[in-house]
Amino acid sequence: MKIDTLVRHLREAYRGLRRNTWMSFAAVSAVSVTLLIFGVFLVLAFNISYMAKEVDKTVGIMVELNSDLTADQKEEVLNQIKGNKMTADATLIPKEDALREFKELLGDSGNDILAGLDSEDENPLPDTIKVIPNDIDQFEALTEDLKKYPEEQVLGVDNGGNLAKSVLDYSGLVQNIMLGFGLVLAIMAAFLISNTIKLTIIARKREIEIQRLVGASNWFIRWPFFIEGATMGMLGSISPILITIVLYWSGYNMLNPANEPITIMKLMPVTELSLYVSGTILLMGVLIGIWGSIISVRRFLKI
Amino acid sequence: MKEFFSTENHFDTLILEESDLLTTILLGVLGAKLFIWYIGFHELVYLANKPEEGDDMIEMHDVWKVYSNGVEALRGVNVSVGHGEFVYIVGPSGAGKSSFIKLMYREEKPTHGIVLINDVNVKRVRDWKIPHVRRKIGVVFQDFKLLPSMSAYENVAFAMEAIEVPKRKIKPRVEEVLELVGLNDRMHALPSQLSGGEQQRVAIARAIVNNPTFIIADEPTGNLDPENSWDIMYLLEEINNRGTTVVMATHNKEIVNTLRQRVIAIEQGVIVRDEEGGEYGYED
Ligand SMILES: Nc1ncnc2c1ncn2[C@@H]1O[C@H](COP(=O)(O)OP(=O)(O)O)[C@@H](O)[C@H]1O
Ligand SMILES: [Mg+2]
Repeated sequence: MKIDTLVRHLREAYRGLRRNTWMSFAAVSAVSVTLLIFGVFLVLAFNISYMAKEVDKTVGIMVELNSDLTADQKEEVLNQIKGNKMTADATLIPKEDALREFKELLGDSGNDILAGLDSEDENPLPDTIKVIPNDIDQFEALTEDLKKYPEEQVLGVDNGGNLAKSVLDYSGLVQNIMLGFGLVLAIMAAFLISNTIKLTIIARKREIEIQRLVGASNWFIRWPFFIEGATMGMLGSISPILITIVLYWSGYNMLNPANEPITIMKLMPVTELSLYVSGTILLMGVLIGIWGSIISVRRFLKI
Repeated sequence: MKEFFSTENHFDTLILEESDLLTTILLGVLGAKLFIWYIGFHELVYLANKPEEGDDMIEMHDVWKVYSNGVEALRGVNVSVGHGEFVYIVGPSGAGKSSFIKLMYREEKPTHGIVLINDVNVKRVRDWKIPHVRRKIGVVFQDFKLLPSMSAYENVAFAMEAIEVPKRKIKPRVEEVLELVGLNDRMHALPSQLSGGEQQRVAIARAIVNNPTFIIADEPTGNLDPENSWDIMYLLEEINNRGTTVVMATHNKEIVNTLRQRVIAIEQGVIVRDEEGGEYGYED
């Protein structure tokens, strides 16, 4: 496209927006509401997949071994577990290591309580095997498999109640509901946009008639309407981007305070998320806008 | 077939591979076509490989125009208008003159039969090629069809901008045609500030500004008083003398009988007369 033509199309699109200020405003607002929903959805979705990856890395099933087993017998159980198809990795954690980790976790305050437990014989902790599943979905099945060991070999199997997984399941449902809701809103926003485009087409009816008559190409006639729709989508994406980022930023500071290393939830860093979210929202805004234009151009623009 | 090939196993696989390849190619071609259509690239390709100029002719072969309400506006019209001709289309109201004119600039498609504009079949031509067909044709109407918010100059320039003529070429050309139609001193007037005759001259300037091969006019003097009508006719004659084909539908007996040209008379959708230097032939 020539620069002159582009400038012309931009001016034409601007005129269209100005001509129907109120309709444009309504359409832009609808886009904003839609995109805000999507923004929240995106924050959840990005964080959940982020957290799921983090959780996947650390989550493990603890298999408590019977202390009566010999070193060779423990090794045999370990190898059997490693042979399971669902196992990604299995490591034997001797009770001495477990105790040391436990003490580190408790810090200074724990030293007194555990002071007497230093010697070999008095260590109350069992030897354990930490098993990491291939896939978080196989968590339950693998736990069941491990529970089949007789008591002479395995005293118990603990998968930590699998909190992480149930959180993920629940948020998956929430995500689907939001996605469905957002989709309905997106359709409404696209129709509002198509309605303002329709008004522009009607207002420019005579111009378009002349353009067709003198042989303007179909795209020359269509472009301003696509630009107008895309611009409305773009304008509609500004406030949701800002709101989402500000909300996320404050939420992040609340849940992941800067000076405390131990946190309930490890969230995605603000800058990284802002980049993804603003890019996605902007793109969606433009797509909704173009979608609206296509509806009107196809229905009302006789070429 | 299947039975036959399955006995010769290597043939079978060969056939399969070939059809797979064919499917892939077909899908590939389809995909590429969709893509090209999507980005509007076809227009550029067409412009780059533009076919040689046609014969500068409009031809109709057994053309029927039946509107959706069942009215048969044209019934088996055969005609050929060659380069540089001046043709009047005459006939009573409702005879089908406007329908005939609309077929000539591809506003309407024939229901049956063939319309060729510069050897392009307007029924078969792809939608995106139609603009390039229309660039060869300037159209003038009884009601001028000027844009009311634009000056005479802007109305004419609008036609050049629409086909993306470079900006620097627009001003000199617009001034040239406005001078040709005798309006260079009224350039910045709005249509509402111009007389009917002046408005029609602006419309004619707009029709010729992109150098079309044809001027198609539907009762161009229908809204004008006799004096202005004559001015418009002299202008169209002048344009014709410069090599542009002119086809005009008219009700103006005096003009047809004075400026003698080819006359095509249509009655009830049928050409009843087609003669060089003919008369109007009706009493209004
Ligand atoms: N768009 C249309 N739809 C239906 N009928 C039409 C349409 N245009 C013209 N007609 C009919 O076709 C016939 C020819 O009309 P037209 O071509 O305008 O004749 P003319 O220009 O000679 O008066 C008339 O009966 C008219 O009513
Ligand atoms: Mg008519």
